[in-house]
Amino acid sequence: MTRLREIVPYLALLAGAAFLYERTGAFAAFSRPGQLGPDAWPKAILALLAFVCVFEIARRAWSWRSATVEAKSEAATGEQAQRYPWLLAAGVAITVLYVPAISVLGFFLCTAIYLAAFMWIGRYRSIGVIAACSLIGSLAFVFVFMRIVYVSLPLGMGPFRTLSTGLLAVLGIH
Amino acid sequence: MDGVLHQLALGFLHLLAPANALALVVGLVVGMLVAVLPGLTLVMGVVLALPFTYGMDVTPSIVLLTAMYLSGTYGGAFTSILFRIPGEPLDVPLLWDGYPMARQGHPAQALGWTLLAALLGGLITAISAVALAVPFARFALRFDSPEYFAIVLFGLTGVVALAGDSLAKAVVSLCIGLLLATVGVDSTYGADRFTFDVPMLKDGVEYLTVMVGAYGLGEVLARMEQGFATPPLDATQKVDTRLPRWREVRGLLPTIGRSSFIGILCGIVPGAGATVGSFVAYGAEAQYGRRREQLGTGIPEGIVAPQLASTATVGGHMVPLLALGIPGSGATAVILGAFLLHGVQPGPQIFQTSGDMVYTIFASMFAAVMGMCLLGYFAIRPLIWVLRLPEAVTSAFVALFCFVGAYSARNSVTDLWMIVIFGIVGYFFEKMRFPIAPMVLGCILGPVAESSFMTSMIAYSNDWAVFFTRPISGVVMALTILALAFPLVRHARRLVRAKRNPAFGAQMGSEARP
Repeated sequence: MTRLREIVPYLALLAGAAFLYERTGAFAAFSRPGQLGPDAWPKAILALLAFVCVFEIARRAWSWRSATVEAKSEAATGEQAQRYPWLLAAGVAITVLYVPAISVLGFFLCTAIYLAAFMWIGRYRSIGVIAACSLIGSLAFVFVFMRIVYVSLPLGMGPFRTLSTGLLAVLGIH
Repeated sequence: MDGVLHQLALGFLHLLAPANALALVVGLVVGMLVAVLPGLTLVMGVVLALPFTYGMDVTPSIVLLTAMYLSGTYGGAFTSILFRIPGEPLDVPLLWDGYPMARQGHPAQALGWTLLAALLGGLITAISAVALAVPFARFALRFDSPEYFAIVLFGLTGVVALAGDSLAKAVVSLCIGLLLATVGVDSTYGADRFTFDVPMLKDGVEYLTVMVGAYGLGEVLARMEQGFATPPLDATQKVDTRLPRWREVRGLLPTIGRSSFIGILCGIVPGAGATVGSFVAYGAEAQYGRRREQLGTGIPEGIVAPQLASTATVGGHMVPLLALGIPGSGATAVILGAFLLHGVQPGPQIFQTSGDMVYTIFASMFAAVMGMCLLGYFAIRPLIWVLRLPEAVTSAFVALFCFVGAYSARNSVTDLWMIVIFGIVGYFFEKMRFPIAPMVLGCILGPVAESSFMTSMIAYSNDWAVFFTRPISGVVMALTILALAFPLVRHARRLVRAKRNPAFGAQMGSEARP
């Protein structure tokens, strides 16, 4: 089981390399006969990747290096710190949601909510600090990036856009 | 030599310009803060500072990042010596003598030795960078495309070979980086590659998003899985520094000489960065030091050697970066990224085309060394205050910096998606112990490697032997093969030892993990 778990990433990489290698045939370009085309460089990299994957799969499958020793070592490392997969899942979920939400809610509101949610999910429970950090932090980012660095951060849509433009007016950003 | 000194003097004058001076001060303070915070690595800090440089000129941008890099090699020493928490991996050897010295009631002396080592390491590294960069660049002017390809390949394999225990994982990471660099429109033929008719892939994958996502967000997600378990620290301890006396320093001159040499060498060799320099210098002290038996009990040699060597690597790294355009570490890869973002390609011509800028950067290194020592002596107490912040709060802001940094480059929400994707990739890399640095370097150096390879092939009628038959590229290719063979030989020797001694074999697995 341990060996299988070690081999799976290399199998996936090998499959990916094979798929991409096949796709290099579809590169449309004009090159003189006998001259390397745009597929040459990616093909060389993919061949190297495939070689390393095959080598590692073979090595791990035939226990060239003791798989048990590695498994024990990894288990020992894993035991050092407690894991919270649900925190990770929630963290990834809000991080993924942040991207589409920023176009709708605008940078300020979306970021304030994201920061607050992130701290809460990160097991920090001081509501006052969370509220202050998320609001002041978002405001500081808006000010620094829109007023000083001149980055056009998303303003949002509909009522959220009105809120963002009102905030910018208060901050003196035009 | 006179010309170099004259240019350096002009560099000091340019450094007095408000934008450069401000960038220097901000870089020093932020670099120190980043190094103090255990969750934030030096490379991550430099990456997060990158978006602030978009609106700046190239010189203050590089001054800012270089100052961060330099002071980052010093700031972590405070938490290592006072709280036994290494801010950076390079600070780990400081735990072995710095912390015991502090526990014996001499924290001010321990901090004094660190300050002296950082000062000497910084000055030595700045002098070596000025002295070596021009000869390096003159030599590089003889290069044609095969030599460039050989040098880039050496840079990549050097990083791969020294990336960690598993050469295979490092090569996989490098290949992924090189493949990411091929996505989009090919520069030689104009062909679409790996775009799968997805519009956002037509422009290619920005190395910035790979860098920020994998290093920044990936690390944040990994720490979130551990529940942000690092407790906030009581940073109210007395933090004073007492500089050593000359007669104390005199006894450490051999240590200073050895560690300086190791630091500069580790800087010039691609991949062997500050962390390697720090450990190697401590190891050299353990083997050749006058008081090697007492090492680990809290003696100054155990503090000076790693600190001096790690700071001395910075100048060594700047030499190949400026003269050849080859970054030897994660931080210099980011600095190269900053150069490219401002439309400047480092290489041998940079000394002719942008001499003012190069010497201002060199001058800033001297000023940064002095500045970081002054900061360490007078202002470290308020900086350490940041350790009171809960990890969840600092991590939330790190994640936000990642997003804003990526968005600011092109004002594109697409890049935010890229950040999320590479953040998750970075998390899995951490989880499966694949090194991230080769992927980032592959992504940055991939286009240079490909274009010099394709140019060579077209110019020399597909003659592969050209890389081996031309004198300079042949030597560099031989070094590349050696760099790749070295870890394999080391691994084979370990296996033989493990077979002879099963106890060593059991130890091997745990030692191997960095």
